[in-house]
Amino acid sequence: MTKGIIFDIKEFSLNDGEGIRTTVFFKGCPLRCIWCHNPEGLSPGRELFVTKNGCSECGLCKKPCDHEDCRGLGRCIHICPKGLVKAAGREVDAAELAAEIKRGEDLFLSTGGGVTLSGGEVLMQPDFALELTEALKPLNILIETCGHAKREDFIRVVEKVDTVYFDVKLADREAHKKYTGVYNDLILENLEWLKKSGKKFKIRTPLIPGITDTEENLSAIAKIADGAPVELLPYNKLAGAKYEGVGKKFTDAIKSDTSRIKSTDGLPENFKLK
Amino acid sequence: MNQHYYDYVVNKKAHRALRHDYVDNGELASAYAANSVVDADRVADRFKKMLRDEVPTILDGQKIVFMRTVKKQPKIYTDEEWADIGRKHKLHELGFVSNLTPIYAKTIALGLDEVKKTATEQQKIEIEAILDLVDRYVDEAKRLGRDDVVDVLSVVPRKGATTLREAMQFFRILHYSLWLEGTYHNTVGRFDLMMNPYYEADVAAGRLDKDTALDLVEDFFLSFNLDNDLYPGVQQGDDGQSLVLGGKTLDGGDAFSDFSRICLIASRNLKVIDPKINVRVNKDTPIEIYELCTELTEAGLGFPQYSNDDIALPALLELGYDYEDAVNYGMAACWEFIVPGVSHDIVNMDSLNFSKVVNSAIIAKLGRVETFEELMDYVREVIRFDANRLVEHCYAARWFVPSPMMDMLSEKIKYNNYGIHGTAIASGTDQLAAVKQYVFDEKTVTPERLLHALGTNFNDDPELLHLLRVEAPKMGNDIDWVDAIATELLDTFSDALKGRKNVYGGIYRAGTGSAMNYLLQAGETGATADGRLTGEPFGTNFSCNLFSKIKGPVSVIRSFTKQHFNKTINGGPLTLEFSQQAFRDEDSKKKVAELVRYFIQRGGHQLQLNAVNIETMKDAQIHPENHEHLVVRIWGWSAYFVELDRGYQDHVIARQEYDV
Repeated sequence: MTKGIIFDIKEFSLNDGEGIRTTVFFKGCPLRCIWCHNPEGLSPGRELFVTKNGCSECGLCKKPCDHEDCRGLGRCIHICPKGLVKAAGREVDAAELAAEIKRGEDLFLSTGGGVTLSGGEVLMQPDFALELTEALKPLNILIETCGHAKREDFIRVVEKVDTVYFDVKLADREAHKKYTGVYNDLILENLEWLKKSGKKFKIRTPLIPGITDTEENLSAIAKIADGAPVELLPYNKLAGAKYEGVGKKFTDAIKSDTSRIKSTDGLPENFKLK
Repeated sequence: MNQHYYDYVVNKKAHRALRHDYVDNGELASAYAANSVVDADRVADRFKKMLRDEVPTILDGQKIVFMRTVKKQPKIYTDEEWADIGRKHKLHELGFVSNLTPIYAKTIALGLDEVKKTATEQQKIEIEAILDLVDRYVDEAKRLGRDDVVDVLSVVPRKGATTLREAMQFFRILHYSLWLEGTYHNTVGRFDLMMNPYYEADVAAGRLDKDTALDLVEDFFLSFNLDNDLYPGVQQGDDGQSLVLGGKTLDGGDAFSDFSRICLIASRNLKVIDPKINVRVNKDTPIEIYELCTELTEAGLGFPQYSNDDIALPALLELGYDYEDAVNYGMAACWEFIVPGVSHDIVNMDSLNFSKVVNSAIIAKLGRVETFEELMDYVREVIRFDANRLVEHCYAARWFVPSPMMDMLSEKIKYNNYGIHGTAIASGTDQLAAVKQYVFDEKTVTPERLLHALGTNFNDDPELLHLLRVEAPKMGNDIDWVDAIATELLDTFSDALKGRKNVYGGIYRAGTGSAMNYLLQAGETGATADGRLTGEPFGTNFSCNLFSKIKGPVSVIRSFTKQHFNKTINGGPLTLEFSQQAFRDEDSKKKVAELVRYFIQRGGHQLQLNAVNIETMKDAQIHPENHEHLVVRIWGWSAYFVELDRGYQDHVIARQEYDV
């Protein structure tokens, strides 16, 4: 029985594949993209998450408590009357999680939907991902990955799922390191394998103003895609909304609220805008 | 429709400036009183006088005519008389006939000349008054060179309608007359079934195509918005102009037709609060119809409201309605299932407050019972006690100011049933779920601690408030044992009403609706064991608690489709609020449509689906002048947000919203 750590489950997620789907967000990511809108998904451990909007500063959560699961968080998560103070990350058992999700199985099956595994990064927990995938059968499983994973982990998970949404954020090696914290070597190698694997997949590129949405980057990604479908994801200006909640500061390197790309005019045919 | 006409009525509301007051300072009522004029004669006489005072007004570009120019009806009773009536009789709401569905089709087919032959004296007076106004409209149309209007009014309402335009014009005149008479919450009924024969005949004869028909239906739909600010209601918009599309027909077919499609498109194009669109569906309704309906949902009007023939029809039969009546069921002002023409049901007699009865049971018995089952036994007892109280409270006859016009549009009344709402089912359920889990199963909360917290509005126990409010199991999360409590509560309520008869021999119908009680009865309910504070609003109708942490719409639909709705067919829908984002592309809309179908296929009885934008609503509270046309769904009707009282505005903003 493999345990995993997740930070959210979202029913009826409309952006994460075909049909009606539930998305499971795995906690922990090897990348540190400066534009990440899920800061609570980055660390692989359980952490404090405070929603500031609605907080009346009553101070109740700051009083010492003796709850075991508040230990190490620095706040009491069992007292906020509005539920604003909580822990991001819960340990789950794959079989139990699958059973919970499968309650809507008839709806998923009848609409060609299923379950999307997202994150964070799914491939940071490959054993859990595999066990969950197995337990969720016969549902359609889609993974969203940054591609930065050991080749063997990448292959053994991808082989078991139905569809892969594979992020290619930046084509340039140095820029990738600068904005995501890692070089893209592993990512591009895994993508080459994926392209040859025959697995249903789509490349996804977030349109970060001035960083990933440059002509240079998009044409380089077109070369990498080599005709494979590329979906461009609009930048969400609310991306930084949750940073304060985990005690972090959102980047000030993104200078605009929207990408210059408003349509796929002038882009290769395999590019679609979400 | 004609854009100029639309702007004039919807944007400028300039037609309202064409109204005048009926000059009366109580003289009319005094004269009736002095001469001891009987009720029906007063109604007919006032009707005649008001119609005579009407100024025929045909707006530029308007096709379906007849618009109120007289603002308010003069009183027909002196204050003393009215007080006396109130002492002698029990009145329902305003005392006038309301919330019924007339049979328009027969009169529209026959024409008033024919109907007059069998009419009562008062009806004859009203018909004469209508015809007199029609003649003056014809004169006005001639003066304006509006031959099209002259042509239509030279057929209807004297003779039966022969075209769609004539039929809708005839309908407009009848509907207008009902309101003017004082009858209110006048619902429309099965509109597509009524109008489709005219539409098909027009198309077959080459008089009309889909586009020209759409144009005409839009014009007709606008007529529901000409006078609706004059109609009485709890809030502006609560005017009962419900219109039904689709559904099983007496011959076993389905009423959904090309004409129904045109109605859906017309409503979407107009983006106004009336008429309120309802669609009857069943497990075999094709996804394409749900997709078309979803296009309307996207418009943000809270239309259509869905009701499930698979559930409603057998349930109405079980309640004793004859098949030929049940099959024609429609919606009362909000969502109460009513049958047209043969019923004088009063569907909103009172409301059982589940939150309060459960709360009172917990306060009375916690600490004194050993097991949860013992507590449940007492809860059932309290529900039966309260249901009995309501039955006795409602039992008596209700006195109504007569409505000759409604009588003219009705047949022999077969049903005099009373409906009782069931408010705050989620709050009642969640209280019991929390008590079961923490007090009885886990024993982590003592009865004393809970009772103290309830008595002190959780003032000195924030940790318990958090536990009950945030962490406790909630209805809406597809937890079978929790949802089963709701089933139990509703069954007990329904069974308690079973076999009970009102003074007319009519039955009592249990429902899942709250109407305005999500605020009113919430105000009378102290702190509850679901972590709800004193006076805090309930969810609307058959919905989750406002503050419940809910997994998402799939779980909600699953939770709220497990109960025995054949027992609660007075009505009251599950309400889901979706962020406008859910409708951003074709693919997303298709998924919303699939979700609605899932609800119906799982045997849900009624569903209201709203596209909302919370930021827009918040901004509208600060800058109402920028959001004059923002429409929201309240409890069974839609309204312009800025015209609502703050409490109703805040409630819409506080509802569970599913972003996607």
